[in-house]
Amino acid sequence: MGQGMGEAQAPETVPRTASGVPGLDTVLNGGFVEGGVYIVQGDPGSGKTILANQICYKHIEGGGRVLYVTLLAESHSRLLQQLGTLSFFDQAAVSDQIVYVSGFTTLEEDGLPGLLNLLRREIKGRKATMLVLDGFLATQASASSERDFKKFIHDLQGQVAAAGCTTFLLTNDDGRASRPERTMVDGIVQMVRRPSGDRTERYLEVVKLRSSAFLEGRHAYSIDSDGYHVHPRFEALYATPSRHDDVGEDRYTTGAPSLDAVIGGGLRTTSTSAVIGPSGAGKTTIGIQFIGASTPEEPGLLFGFYETPPRLKVKAKRIGVDLDALTASGAVEILWQAPTEPVFDALGHRLVDAVRRRKVKRLLVDGLGGFIAAASEPSRISRFFAALANELRVLGVTTLYTMETRDLFGAQVEVPIDNISSLVENLLYMRFVERQSRMARILAIVKMRDSDFDPALREYTIDDSGIHIGQPFVGAEALMTGFAHESASEPRPAPLPPRA
Amino acid sequence: MKTVLVVEDEFGVADLILTALEDEGYRVLKAAHGAQALERLGQEKPDLIISDFMMPIMDGPTFAAQVKAMDDLAHVPIIMMSAVPETALRARFDRYEVFLQKPFRIDDLVEVVGKALGKDAG
Repeated sequence: MGQGMGEAQAPETVPRTASGVPGLDTVLNGGFVEGGVYIVQGDPGSGKTILANQICYKHIEGGGRVLYVTLLAESHSRLLQQLGTLSFFDQAAVSDQIVYVSGFTTLEEDGLPGLLNLLRREIKGRKATMLVLDGFLATQASASSERDFKKFIHDLQGQVAAAGCTTFLLTNDDGRASRPERTMVDGIVQMVRRPSGDRTERYLEVVKLRSSAFLEGRHAYSIDSDGYHVHPRFEALYATPSRHDDVGEDRYTTGAPSLDAVIGGGLRTTSTSAVIGPSGAGKTTIGIQFIGASTPEEPGLLFGFYETPPRLKVKAKRIGVDLDALTASGAVEILWQAPTEPVFDALGHRLVDAVRRRKVKRLLVDGLGGFIAAASEPSRISRFFAALANELRVLGVTTLYTMETRDLFGAQVEVPIDNISSLVENLLYMRFVERQSRMARILAIVKMRDSDFDPALREYTIDDSGIHIGQPFVGAEALMTGFAHESASEPRPAPLPPRA
Repeated sequence: MKTVLVVEDEFGVADLILTALEDEGYRVLKAAHGAQALERLGQEKPDLIISDFMMPIMDGPTFAAQVKAMDDLAHVPIIMMSAVPETALRARFDRYEVFLQKPFRIDDLVEVVGKALGKDAG
């Protein structure tokens, strides 16, 4: 029973054991069912042992007791050495709350009945509430027949269920989808590593989870010194926005009065806008002015990729926006992510978490290309941003994206995302034009949903107080191609308005 | 020939110790856990016991405590092995003569065993 989980979930009364792994309990809809038997399956190096141990140590924190039984697996000393590098590891708990023992000799000498007997005694004697059988494949190799193996699984399930001992069987993926234990166990978590260009992608999929809804499909995961982080597939988690959509009727200033004047007084609250244009056009300037209008009561978030916070602060100061003061007062938070090899879904969750944490009302995503570059599957991008826009809207956020186009000049505009117009309500396009041996910057308001706006092309300038939008550009044609030429009448652009 | 009883649940570690000590001329007995080791002690009187700390059925501390309670075996030195540092374990149990931190090098094992049996390391 899998599904995309939105807000509405049927109430569940099944007692659960939380994994404690960031993101995994979201995928599992709360955790593993207590006393269930679960296969954790994956390629060598996918991190099954780390995942299992992380779950064990979180279980210990809650007062649980763990029996970790290895069969044909790495030695305990090597395992503990490796765990010692991870923050969740608690050495003081080893040999008391968590015990590592080998069952292989018993399996070799007494077969599956002997192993079952050993597990029963150890679970009872140690009052274990969690069991890990690492190297589970060895049990199947020891079975004299498939029937014996099924009986072993069946007896194990009965044993651990009676003890309330949640059990994980760690095994390599041998590519056989029809292995008998897969049909018998309560759930299967599959982990995969695969090359993607120069990167290695890791993802996890819950293939089966009895008695519970779960978030279907692949979910990226990463491993660092804190262990596992699962990043639920964003558009699956937010397939349905988490709240009701209250349409905003108010407007937020862009922070640039002359821009407000041509878009009907500002951006509608809870709307999503994009400013696109080539490098140097002034997209970030508009963004900084927008975020500069944040207050502690209506806080802003600057979520950037390419320009580091110190550089952004310098840039902001040049146009009279003091980001240091705004961050000190709590009006603005700057979250910067190096656009190197981030996990696409992790970015989305980081953004939404930051919005929720501070009840952000103004959001600037500076450099949407950073997001897009993290997506290894281009087909997901539109769905991802549709889900993001919907969620931000219901959280009451007015969002402004900046996005770079490739060419400074030229008749064609290449935007690094398909269907951009369907994903945003307001679209502003900035570009350079050459005219009369002079480079000019023009702004086009392509779209401004539910607002009166002036569709005329306007020249704009940027100075130490920000962006200034001029009067409609007259006397020239083909401006949007980047190669303007004079029209028959009105040969000159209208003058810029006087500065305030 | 000195006899050493190795009590270790991890078969790879047990085999490693057995081979290393047989190469040094010791007679080596094996048991996979404390209960099995006690059975062996019914027939054998080793000169030295090497025991793991964490084991199924009967762990190292329980086994060592029972050995030290036997009149005829209380004098047999016990080397306790664990991947957990001694500082973390000694507070819970100290009925052993020597502690050997896992993982160890063969040379270190041979030296510790030699010293425990009163032999020169070299």
